[in-house]
Amino acid sequence: MKLAFILAYKNLIGAGLRTWLNVGILAFTFILILFYNGLLDGWNQQAKLASIEWEYGYGELRAANYDPYDPFSIQDGHQSYKPEDFNMLTPILIRQASIYPHGRMLSISLKGIPHDQEQLKLPTTFLNPSQGEIPVIIGKRMAAAAKLKEGEEVLLRWRDKHGTFDALPVTIVKIFDSDVGSIDSGQMWIGLAQLQEMTGFKAEATYFVANKNYNHQERKGWSFIPQETLLEDINKLIASKKISGSIMYLLLLAIALLAIFDTQVLSVFRRQKEIGTYIAMGMTRLQVVGLFTVEGNMYSLLAMLLGAIVGIPMLSFLAVKGISFPEVTQGMGVTMAERIFPVFSLQLIAGTMLLLIISATIVSFLPAKKIANMNPVEALKGKLQ
Amino acid sequence: MIKFLFKGIIRDKSRSILPIVVISLGVSLTIVLSGFLSGAMTDMVDQNARFETGHVKVMSRAYAENKEQLPNDLALLGVDSLISYLRSNYPDLQWVERIRFGGLLDAPDADGESKGQGPAAGIAINLLDASSGEVERMNIERAIVSGALPDYANEALIGDEFAKKLKLNIGDEVTYFGTTMNGSMTFQNFTISGTIRFGIAAMDKGAILLDISAARQMLDMQNGAGEILGFFHNGVYNDKAALAMENSFNNQLKSNPDEYAPQMFTLRSQNNLGDLLDYANSMSAIFVLIFVGAMSVVLWNTGLIGGLRRYQEFGIRLALGESKGKIYRSLVMEATLIGMIGSLIGTGIGLVGAFYLQNYGINIAGMVDNSSMMMPTVMRAKVTPNLYYIGFIPGVFAMVFGNMLSGIGIYKRETASLFNELEV
Amino acid sequence: MNTARNFTGKMKKIILLFSFLFLGIMSGQAQDAQIILDKVDKNMVSKTEITESEMIIRGKRNVQTIGSKSYTEGNKKSFTEYLYPERERGTKMLKLEDRLWIYSPSTDRTIQLSGHMLRQSVMGSDLSYEDMMEDRKLKEIYDAIILGEETIDERKTWILELTASVENVSYHKRKIWVDQERFIPLKEELFAKSGQLLKKTTLSDISQIDGRWYPKKINFKDVLKSGNGTDFIIKKIQFNPAIPAYIFTKASLKK
Repeated sequence: MKLAFILAYKNLIGAGLRTWLNVGILAFTFILILFYNGLLDGWNQQAKLASIEWEYGYGELRAANYDPYDPFSIQDGHQSYKPEDFNMLTPILIRQASIYPHGRMLSISLKGIPHDQEQLKLPTTFLNPSQGEIPVIIGKRMAAAAKLKEGEEVLLRWRDKHGTFDALPVTIVKIFDSDVGSIDSGQMWIGLAQLQEMTGFKAEATYFVANKNYNHQERKGWSFIPQETLLEDINKLIASKKISGSIMYLLLLAIALLAIFDTQVLSVFRRQKEIGTYIAMGMTRLQVVGLFTVEGNMYSLLAMLLGAIVGIPMLSFLAVKGISFPEVTQGMGVTMAERIFPVFSLQLIAGTMLLLIISATIVSFLPAKKIANMNPVEALKGKLQ
Repeated sequence: MIKFLFKGIIRDKSRSILPIVVISLGVSLTIVLSGFLSGAMTDMVDQNARFETGHVKVMSRAYAENKEQLPNDLALLGVDSLISYLRSNYPDLQWVERIRFGGLLDAPDADGESKGQGPAAGIAINLLDASSGEVERMNIERAIVSGALPDYANEALIGDEFAKKLKLNIGDEVTYFGTTMNGSMTFQNFTISGTIRFGIAAMDKGAILLDISAARQMLDMQNGAGEILGFFHNGVYNDKAALAMENSFNNQLKSNPDEYAPQMFTLRSQNNLGDLLDYANSMSAIFVLIFVGAMSVVLWNTGLIGGLRRYQEFGIRLALGESKGKIYRSLVMEATLIGMIGSLIGTGIGLVGAFYLQNYGINIAGMVDNSSMMMPTVMRAKVTPNLYYIGFIPGVFAMVFGNMLSGIGIYKRETASLFNELEV
Repeated sequence: MNTARNFTGKMKKIILLFSFLFLGIMSGQAQDAQIILDKVDKNMVSKTEITESEMIIRGKRNVQTIGSKSYTEGNKKSFTEYLYPERERGTKMLKLEDRLWIYSPSTDRTIQLSGHMLRQSVMGSDLSYEDMMEDRKLKEIYDAIILGEETIDERKTWILELTASVENVSYHKRKIWVDQERFIPLKEELFAKSGQLLKKTTLSDISQIDGRWYPKKINFKDVLKSGNGTDFIIKKIQFNPAIPAYIFTKASLKK
C-alpha cells in the first residue's frame, strides 16, 4: 500500500500542469462548498441571533387574544400583570397610533418597552424620559418610510384606554439599525411607563419577551411561544437555500470529478505498457487497480491540501471580516444581516472532506476497473485500444 | 489545406466523431450549467422581481412616494393607453398590471351572520388569462394547498391559515369589505376556489389573491392600477436595457408637473436590489470561470488522447517525408476545426438546454419540506450573452491546447521511434 | 372670568340670578353654559328626524357627492340608506346603540362593524364611523363653561368650552361657538387630551325650518390631514315625524 501511495504520488507530480489543474479545480470546488455552506450557516446563525437579540428573546408570552399577524387584535390583546409575578420577562405594550410627518398620516404600532430593559438590543436607554420631551426610537426602515431624522419632532396621535384621543409631539431621539425588519417597519418604540401613562393601561402588557432563565409554567390568560417556534421561518428559509445551493455545488463537484475521471481514463489508456509491466513484475491486477485508484484519489488529497493552503487564510479572513451584503429582503420578511460572517463548523469541514475523498475514489476506481480485465501481454505491448 | 483537413475529418470517423461528440457534450454542459448557475445565483433578485419589483415597475409619482401604504387613491389611471404605449414602445417586455390593497374579509355562517372576520392583504393580478404569465410567475399553482386556481373573476384564493382562521372551506363564500380608490365603502362576494401557502407567515395568515378585473370593479379602479410591472420576455433582467428604458421613459415625462404622472423604476433602483444584483453577478462569474476551467481540463485530455492515438499515423507520415512542422501544423489546424465544429454543435445544444431550463427550470420542490409555497422551488437557468461564446473557450482552446501538447511529442521523438512506438 | 362683563343684557340677568342662587361665579357660568347647551339641543335635536342629505367628499383627486336618506330616533337609533351615486345606491347602515351594521345590496350581506373598523373613515370622509356613532347628548358627557364671546361672520357667539365629564369619549375637550340669538353652533373644535386641535366643524347656511334654526351645511375637517374637509348638506329635514319601529331592525336592511 505504501508503495502504491509513493508510486501514485510520483506519477501525479510527474504529470505536471494537468495534475495541478485538476487539483486546482477540485480544491476550488472544495473551498466553494465550504464557503457557500459556511455562508448559509453564518446567515442562519446571525439571522437567528439577530432575531433573538432584537425580537424574540427566549420566547414570547402573549396575551391570549393577541395575534401578531392580526392588527385588529392589538386593540384588545393586552392584559394586566403583576410585575412581581412576571420575573425574567420584559413587558411590551402595543397600541395603534398615527403619526403626521410632514403633513402625511401614517398608521403605526406604538410599542412600549421599559427603558431600562436589557433583554432586547433596542437602544431603549434613549427612552429615559428626562429631557422634558417624549422620546421615541424608530428603526432605519421606518425612518426612511416616514422620512424622519434623528432629533426631529413629529405629532403622535393615539387613544387612551377609554378611546379618548390624545396627541402630542414626540421626538425621535434615536434611529436604530437592526437587521430585523419586523421590529422596525411601521412602528415606533416608546418608554413603557410613558405609554402606560399616556393610555391609562397601568401595568398592562400585550406580550412579554422571555429571558434566558425564564421557565414557563401555565399562566391563565397568557400563552407561551417557545423560541424554536418563533425561529421556524428562518430555519425553513435556510433549509431551502441549502438545497438549492447544494445542487449548484454538486454540479460543480461533478464537473471537477469528470475532469478526474477523464484524466484517469487517459492514464489507463496511455500507460498500458506500465500496467503490463506491473503485472509482469508480479503485482496482482487488484493491486494495480488499487494503485490507479489511489492515484486518482490522491487528487482529492492534494486538492484538500491546496484547499487548506489557500482556503484557511481566505476563509478565516472572511469569517472574521464578514461579507458585506446589501439589504434587500425587508419586503420578504426575511432577516438578513448587511454583513454576514460565515461559520465553518467542524462538521461541515469534515463532511465536505469525506464527500470529496469518497467521490474522488469512485471516479478513480471506475476507469481503473478496466485494468482488471486487461490481457497483460497485450497491455505490455501497448496494443489495447 | 482546410478543405483537405475537412475531408479528413469527415472521412476518418475515429478522428472526428469521438472528439466532436465529446466536445459538443462538454461545451453544451458548460453552457447549460453556466446558465443554470447564473440563474440560481440571482434567484433572490428574481424572486423579488416576480413578487414585487418587476424588472421595471411603473407607478404614479405620488404612489411611489407612499408605496408602503398601498395608496390606491394615488394609483395610475388611464392604464389602458399607458399599457399600449409601453407595449408598442418597449416590446421586449411583457407588461402586467397589479393592484395591492387592504381590507376586511368577513365569512358568513348559514344565516348570513358573520362567523369570522379578519384583516386582509390583497393582491390582484391577472389570474384568469394564462398569457399574462402571472400565475406561473408567482408560482401560484405550486403554492396551492387545496382547491384550484380561480376560473372566474368572482373566485379568489386565500391564505391557507387565513382560511382556517375564518373557518372557510373550498366553495364557501366570503365577503370583502373595504374602501374604493375614492374612499367609498365597497363590498364584494367571492367564492373560495383554493387556499394557498406563500411561505411567509404574514401572508399565509391574511392574504387574498384576486383577478385584477374583480379588484378593479371592487375598488372602483376602472382603467387603473397601482403598479404596472414589466418583465423581459426571456425572464432575465437586463440591467443595461432596463436602465436605458427608465431613462428614456422618465425623461419624456420630466416636464410633466402632474404628481400622478407615471414614473418608471428599474429593479436595480428598488428595494436596494442593485447591490445584490452586482453581487450575484460576480458570484456567478466565479462559478462560470470554474466551470470553464474544469471543462477545459476534460477537453484538453480529449485532445491529448486524440493526438496520442495518431502517433502511428504521424510515424507513417514522417516516414513518407512530411516535415515535422507541417504535421504539427496540420494537427493543430485539424484540432481547431474539430474544436470549432464541436463548439458550434455544443453551443447550439447547450443554448437549447439553457433556454429550456430558463423556461421550465428544475423543480426542487420534492427536496424542500413544506414544498407547497411560493418561495422558489423551481431553479431556473438564466441565458446571458456570454453563454453564446463561453463554450468556445473549453471547446476550441482546450482542444487545440491538448492537441498541441500531444503534438510536441512529434518533435521530441525520433522518427524511427515514433514509427516504432506502436509497432506498425 | 371678566368675559361675563361682555354678556348681553338678557344673559346678564340670568347670570346675576344664578350667581346669587348658586355658589360662586364658576358654577354660575357652568350653569349658563348648560342652559345654552340645552337651548342648542332643543334646536338641533328632535325626538325623531328624517333627513335627506348630501355628503361632499374631497379626495386628493376628485370630489364625490353621496346622497342619503336617514331616519333617526333620539341619539341611539339611526338608519341610513344611500341614494346615489349608483355605486352606493341601496347601501344601508343601521345603528342601534353602540352597534353598527352595514348592508350592501350587491353582495346581499350584512356586516357588523366592530372595534377597529369603527375608527375608519366613512366613505373616505373626514368623519369616522365612531364620530357618527356618538349617541350621548353633549351635556351627558361634557361639563361646559363659557369661555368668552366672539363675532363670527357678523354674528355674536358665546364660546363654550366642554370638558369630558365621563371617561369614554373620543374627544376630551370641545369648543363650541354658539350663535347668541339663534342658539345654533357656528363652529366647533375638537381637541385631544393634550389640547392638540384634531377636528374642526363649521356650520353654515342657517335657515329656519319648521320654526327652528338649523344649519344646512356642515363642514368637517380633520385638521391633521391636508385637504378641505367634508361637507354635509341637508337637503330636506323633517322634525318629529312618526317612524315605524321596523325601520330600526336588521330586517329592514335587506328591504
